[in-house]
Amino acid sequence: MKSTIQDIIQVAESKSLTYQQKLFNMANVAERLIDPRELLGYSDEEMQYLDNSMICDLNEGYALYRPRYIVPDYKVFIENGCRFLNIDPPQSLDELLDGLLILYRHVPSITSFPVYIGDLDKLINPFIQGENKAYIKIKRFLNHIDKTIVDSFCHANIGPEKTLAGELILKAIIELENPTPNITFKYNKNVVEQEFLLKSIDACLRVAKPSFSNDVLYNNDVGEHAIVSCYNALPLGGGAYTLPRLRLGTIARATSSIHELLSDLLPHVSRAMLSMMDKRVSYIVEKSNFFETSFLAEEGFIKKENFTAMFGIVGLADAVNHLLKLEGIHENFGTSKRGDEIGHQILIKLESIVKNYQGVYVERTNNHYLLHGQVGASLHDEDNYNTPAHRIPVGDEPILPTHLIQAGQFHKYFPSGTGDLFAFDQTYLNHLDAVADIIKGAFDIQFRYISTYLQNSDLIRVTGYLVKRSEVAKVESEDVVLRDTDIFAHGTNKNAHLFNRKTRKDGE
Amino acid sequence: MENKLIINQIIPFSNVDGSGNRCAIFLQGCNISCIYCHNPETINYCNDCGNCVNACKYDAIHLVKSRIQYDKKLCTSCNACISICPYNSSPKAILYNVAELTELIKQYKPFIRGITISGGEPTLQKHLIIDLFNRIKPLGLTCTIDTNGFFDINEMEDLINITDKFLFDVKTVDDSFKLCGVANLSSLATLEYLLKKNKIEEVRTVVLNSYMDGKKTVEKVAQLLLNHLEVTYKIIKVHTLGLSKQRQNKINDFIPSDEEILELVQIAKDLGLKKVEYVL
Repeated sequence: MKSTIQDIIQVAESKSLTYQQKLFNMANVAERLIDPRELLGYSDEEMQYLDNSMICDLNEGYALYRPRYIVPDYKVFIENGCRFLNIDPPQSLDELLDGLLILYRHVPSITSFPVYIGDLDKLINPFIQGENKAYIKIKRFLNHIDKTIVDSFCHANIGPEKTLAGELILKAIIELENPTPNITFKYNKNVVEQEFLLKSIDACLRVAKPSFSNDVLYNNDVGEHAIVSCYNALPLGGGAYTLPRLRLGTIARATSSIHELLSDLLPHVSRAMLSMMDKRVSYIVEKSNFFETSFLAEEGFIKKENFTAMFGIVGLADAVNHLLKLEGIHENFGTSKRGDEIGHQILIKLESIVKNYQGVYVERTNNHYLLHGQVGASLHDEDNYNTPAHRIPVGDEPILPTHLIQAGQFHKYFPSGTGDLFAFDQTYLNHLDAVADIIKGAFDIQFRYISTYLQNSDLIRVTGYLVKRSEVAKVESEDVVLRDTDIFAHGTNKNAHLFNRKTRKDGE
Repeated sequence: MENKLIINQIIPFSNVDGSGNRCAIFLQGCNISCIYCHNPETINYCNDCGNCVNACKYDAIHLVKSRIQYDKKLCTSCNACISICPYNSSPKAILYNVAELTELIKQYKPFIRGITISGGEPTLQKHLIIDLFNRIKPLGLTCTIDTNGFFDINEMEDLINITDKFLFDVKTVDDSFKLCGVANLSSLATLEYLLKKNKIEEVRTVVLNSYMDGKKTVEKVAQLLLNHLEVTYKIIKVHTLGLSKQRQNKINDFIPSDEEILELVQIAKDLGLKKVEYVL
């Protein structure tokens, strides 16, 4: 969405943004002051779909100067150190953690904070000498990240192999109860050790992290990858240039039949978004000089050849509910067989459109952009009527087994990531093996990503990222808060009542 | 009706009815009536008296040709029907044939380790359970029964053989009448037999003073478990949450203190048991 001069003044005079948040907001406003028709060559049709909210560009801006998501291969630092920053390869745990904290300051992203900070267990483990001392250092390192990378899209990975470092990280996050970093446990049932898994589940119930990714499935689809930002699976040593999204609910509501949607409007809007993506990616690669000016590229932390771009969707549920109504069926997405059929029809159409399109500068993913189940945001009134990704709207959820099966059938469409969240009640804390069974089952039916937390914990997963309820309450009362994600969470919760997701008691 | 299981309730995912995540199936019908029973509506089969029809404010229960018919869609689970039932039963019990139940369980298969049949007292419907287990075990799921142990092992040989594990309540080692409403019942010999066959996962005793002798029960159970230290013994303080006023009045004065329960736990440990758990 284009910005105005007035936006600058609004940011400057805000009562609820910190200095740093104002600085980044100013930059974002500037990026959006430019007319994308002039700089990027957007067509009138593309502009029309942005203006009528069918396409949302997540306020990425038009004067692009870095890829949206950057996934550095931090092993390069361990091997070579960093010439640009004049740091030698680390020889001790202190040098490693210190070096990483320095590097994180130099990893760009759409939020200007790093969305990926490494497979921390694998990076740290070889440097551990003495468990107790290492624990103190790791805990301090993680706390430092929470207070300086004030954006919980920042993501670390652990697993699937058990390591001492992995166990110390789990212990530290439970003690710290910090939202940042977000953590994903890469799950592979052939590798994972039950004891390590149960410790991870204990942590995820207590502090809402780690979440669990289907490492086998993602290795097949994306190859060597990391889970970054919310739950995006992106090539390691690369990332994703851009992530615009279709608001499927908005698009469907402009049609009067499923035929009209699938054969006319959806293909038109999709092609407009694909060509916008071409223009955005080309600008970053050809005009912005990002790769020419980045020491990450120069020194091999990232390679241009490892980038892709993401074709996001939200609002499948809302689209399906509109079409069910048109068909005279009084059912809701989530508990409707016909609803599921319509959902598949929409996603099969989209998959075919995206897979048959040749993207630019995305050879890493066979010259295709990747479908992504985007988790939602609150940027426009229309976001009230577009449920995240393919999720069931809060309040319409069926019992847990039915919900898992309903959700799982749609994960296959989204190679660059999608996920579902389930809130459990206290009894599961004493029965971690029961949660392990549910996670294993979810991956057996081809889930890509599953998150769980206890309904009454202060840390809660909003759509993919973590916030503290108490911090969001401050936003409600217009107090200043540390993290941008606390502010996003306030808007998203207001729209979708995410703090009231159905709690899974025994049997529900 | 004889070819159908009478089911009070199915809990698709349960984490408290055996190891891991399990589908728990609560059968209707029990051979005893414990003073602290928390789900007395599972004790008897409905006799179609119709008292619950008017108690239901949501029109979910009807008498059709003198038989109770229950409409799950209209039910709000207010439980007015169960409160008014004079006969310790429920109009909500559902009849399933084994094939239907197997299909239902298959849906949950990816997420569960097995199924647990509870109740009521499951062994009362043993023929159908054997049929069910014969269909469930080839799916790779384990089959567990939660029992009060008041059955004749000679009559249960087939069921015992096909069941992977029992969760076994030892109610009391004294006369059963005062606590369970039925005289001259004993389960210790059954427990001993099942232990020898390696069929016991967990033994449980709910402790309630006066109606049973907690210390004596724990001591006798511990003696049996000494040769089976892998089996968990769970000692549970009776609780009154969810009990009817009438039942509460009968037991309120006899609820053991936390200290008494912890003493019993210590007794079991002192006798040599390794896996003793308690619920206060």
